Amino acid sequence: MDHILSLIIFFPAFAGLLGFVVHKESAKAYAISVAAIELCLTLWLWVGFDATNAGFQFVEYAPLISQFGVSYYLGVDGISLFLVILSAFMTLIALIGLSVKEDVKNLVISVLFLEMTMVGVFLSLDVILFYVFWEMSLLPMLYIIGAWGSGERIYAAVKFFLYTFFGSVFMLVGILFMAYLYFQTTGVWSFALPDWHLLQVPYDFQLWLFGAFFLGFAIKVPMVPFHTWLPYAHGQAPTIGSVILAAVLLKMGTYGFVRFSLPLFPDAAVTFMIPIAIVAIVMVIYAAMIAYAQEDMKQVIAYSSISHMGIIVLGTFALNAEGITGSIFLMISHGIVSGALFMLVGVIYERRHTKKMSEFGGLASVMPGFATVFGIMLMGSVGLPLTIGFVGEFLALMGFFKVSMVLTALAGTGIILGAIYMLTLYKRSFFGVITNEANRGLSDLNSRELTALVPLVALVVLLGVYPKPILGPVDASVKKMISLMEQKAERQETKLLLKDVNTVGEVR
Amino acid sequence: MPISIDLATLNMATVMPTLILVIGALAILCIDLFKRDLSRSFYTMIAVLVMLLSIGATLGLSGSERGFFDMMLMDGIAVVSGLIILVTSVLFVPLALSSKRFHEFTMPEFFALFLFMVAGFLFMVSSDNLILIFIGLETASLALYTMIAMHNRLKAIEAAIKYFTMGALAAGFYAFSALLFYVLTGSVEIGVIVNVLYERGFDPMIGVLGATVFMLAALGFKLSIIPFHTWTPDVYEGSSAALAGYMSIVPKIAGFVVAMRLFEMLAQSGVTWLEDVLFVAVVLTMTLANLMALVQTDVKRMLAFSSISHAGFVLAAILIGTTQANVGFFLYWMMFLFTNLGAFSMLWIARNKQNLWDARYQHPFTKFSGMVKVSPMAATIMGVFMFSLAGIPPFSIFWGKLFLMSAAVNAGYIGLAVVMALNSAIAVYYYMKLVVFMFLKDPVAKDGSIYAINASTPLKSIIGFALVMTLCAVVFVDSLIGFIAEYVVASGF
Repeated sequence: MDHILSLIIFFPAFAGLLGFVVHKESAKAYAISVAAIELCLTLWLWVGFDATNAGFQFVEYAPLISQFGVSYYLGVDGISLFLVILSAFMTLIALIGLSVKEDVKNLVISVLFLEMTMVGVFLSLDVILFYVFWEMSLLPMLYIIGAWGSGERIYAAVKFFLYTFFGSVFMLVGILFMAYLYFQTTGVWSFALPDWHLLQVPYDFQLWLFGAFFLGFAIKVPMVPFHTWLPYAHGQAPTIGSVILAAVLLKMGTYGFVRFSLPLFPDAAVTFMIPIAIVAIVMVIYAAMIAYAQEDMKQVIAYSSISHMGIIVLGTFALNAEGITGSIFLMISHGIVSGALFMLVGVIYERRHTKKMSEFGGLASVMPGFATVFGIMLMGSVGLPLTIGFVGEFLALMGFFKVSMVLTALAGTGIILGAIYMLTLYKRSFFGVITNEANRGLSDLNSRELTALVPLVALVVLLGVYPKPILGPVDASVKKMISLMEQKAERQETKLLLKDVNTVGEVR
Repeated sequence: MPISIDLATLNMATVMPTLILVIGALAILCIDLFKRDLSRSFYTMIAVLVMLLSIGATLGLSGSERGFFDMMLMDGIAVVSGLIILVTSVLFVPLALSSKRFHEFTMPEFFALFLFMVAGFLFMVSSDNLILIFIGLETASLALYTMIAMHNRLKAIEAAIKYFTMGALAAGFYAFSALLFYVLTGSVEIGVIVNVLYERGFDPMIGVLGATVFMLAALGFKLSIIPFHTWTPDVYEGSSAALAGYMSIVPKIAGFVVAMRLFEMLAQSGVTWLEDVLFVAVVLTMTLANLMALVQTDVKRMLAFSSISHAGFVLAAILIGTTQANVGFFLYWMMFLFTNLGAFSMLWIARNKQNLWDARYQHPFTKFSGMVKVSPMAATIMGVFMFSLAGIPPFSIFWGKLFLMSAAVNAGYIGLAVVMALNSAIAVYYYMKLVVFMFLKDPVAKDGSIYAINASTPLKSIIGFALVMTLCAVVFVDSLIGFIAEYVVASGF
């Protein structure tokens, strides 16, 4: 298993290139096969992964631009492992559920390239390599939203592109400055993250650098007030675009916080802890309220994504093992649940060509299977115990509880609001009598849709009941990262706070 | 008393690259006298061969040689910039072999003028004598004006006259600046000028100010720095796409090298106004050109403004003035060379004899609408060039941008680095506009041949080469940096 990480990254892209030869009729089957092989590769990686080792595993290193310290440097740890598996899994599910007929070949090739960039982002240990994949992920998504979207698809695609690009150029300046600091301290150029982890950055610089990285990640998450691109992108994107966007692309931002912002700038992270937590709570509550006011089902789920991402950010900035582990678990669970919900909306949109709740009502009686799956996903989304959503949300909030009770309580109201808008959506669309005659003849889930959705349902329940296989490795790597933060912290306050929030049994 | 000069002291090797070109140009003129009916492919290949010989002669230089009574200065940056000029020229000439016949390429004089022009640019970069630089500048410019006019369209002649008028003004400024420097220091050699100025503590300041400002204006016209850029889009619009692409690369690198020789020494002098003037010029050129590019409706004009913006970007290297910045400058320009030449060549193969889409423009954005549906290959190639120009990794220009921004950060110009980053974000919008037209809109053309109407095997080969260089930049960036750094450091920049 020497080069398995390279294999995982470049297999989909290479298959995508070969895909140009495959005939249009077989393109979808080809893409599904490729995605299935890719999923097997990532599962194989999991099998080979040593859960007791909290450091980077399967490391690959080759200098790329040696004069400038840029290298081809890959590695996986507990934090990134499951995000990689999630990317491969959701790509496969999204491809199975794909119903687009027009130019399907171009679409599946774009999706395969997108898969390469997603996996690349999570596996890169060289910051420039990370940036390369980060930027490249924009291109296929631009094409997917812009070419197969609906309505104002071009506006939505360009807005998505410009917003994220704008944020990441600041991150690039930050990266370059960080490399310069490293060069000044050590005399050699390096963009390797493990090298940077050893560098203690002066507090003043930390604040600025944290800001530069934060802008790049926050726009991707998206955090209020940079969130306006997301509802647009989701609103116009085709189902497969929405599924991948919600399930994986947004996680890149929160992954960036965990991987870069916290261990590189621990003092700044502590300084900005409460301000960011407040923004996160605003995200949770504000987005939940907007979600309640939406008429369009897809918009409800889009805003609920923002709301849930708020809890992920909150858990991350609890700066303790529970909070960060919880938020990583929540990234995975939200990936599965929101992906499934977008797919379900896609199912009904395909049948009725509308996503307006007022057009529906009483769907449960004509589409019982659909209503059941939707119901389970809804439970997962609102975080009902024994579903996947509960574990992450509980841990993330528990983590932040040690930091501030009041703020956690406020974030908790977001969950209540979440239950309100989701149940309202369910009530208006599924319960009651059929008011619109057009709904009477709707067919229930077909075999293709069932194939895509049943694994998701199974995971929602399985991981909700028994999350340990994921929590174990994640927790080990997170604990290692936190001790790194504590060692590296420059200010005494930071060390004290990190100790404080990481001790059990104390509430401030 | 007779003056006797030993031939060895002249160091003929230093003029070999230029001499080969001049002899080649004269030979083409002579051949034309005796045999009138030779095809353009003959002259193209002769010109390519002559320039390949010149490349060989340049590579043979060690990187620190002087000759001809110290008039020629073949230092490291002269060699590197000479190579950039020659390689671009070698790639440009075969673009004459398009499938449609265009007037200028049927005339042997075009190729003779072209070689004279390249020789002129080489003189410009390989001297620190203001007089010889002036001669090189004028030789090259006069040849270029003529070549633009030879395109023989109404707009082409307008462009040539516009360029000529502006160029004449710039030449006047240049001569005046050289005169002032001579009056101040009693020399026309940049090294001596700078030394004398340092010794005297830049006294009288008003004289130095005058000389520098005139020089900045003169070079500003050549480099199309705002506010001296007004001719650029019109001239690019009027000339053929191939020549426009060439103009966005070669004359600029020649001007940059002169600016680098003169201003880098002065900018480090502690005379703050010079640094301020350069800073304002860099920021304005990058930003305003980007803003103007946003509103263009023609791809060629958009690329014209984009090339102004790129020029502003690399002008930052001269302001920063560190070794890393200078290396970054050459790296950026080499990366820019392939991508930009590729982008303009893509327009060139889509060149129709008539304007089919717009009364005025040959390449409006709407022409490329839905191109991916009818001509997926060409659309993807053009898309790659656009992404590269926008600085999206891993395509070529990203690496130049990375290196240059890093130089800015390292030298303490954080603000400048942020402006550079912001400008990348603005620029991405107009490059994206073409991508959006090509990939996301509905097609206007029924079949793809319309986008390759002017294509031929040589043109396709050139584009393929540019594409490979753009895509695989990451593979050779490392050795390229090493190569450039060696020469740049050797010449003390």
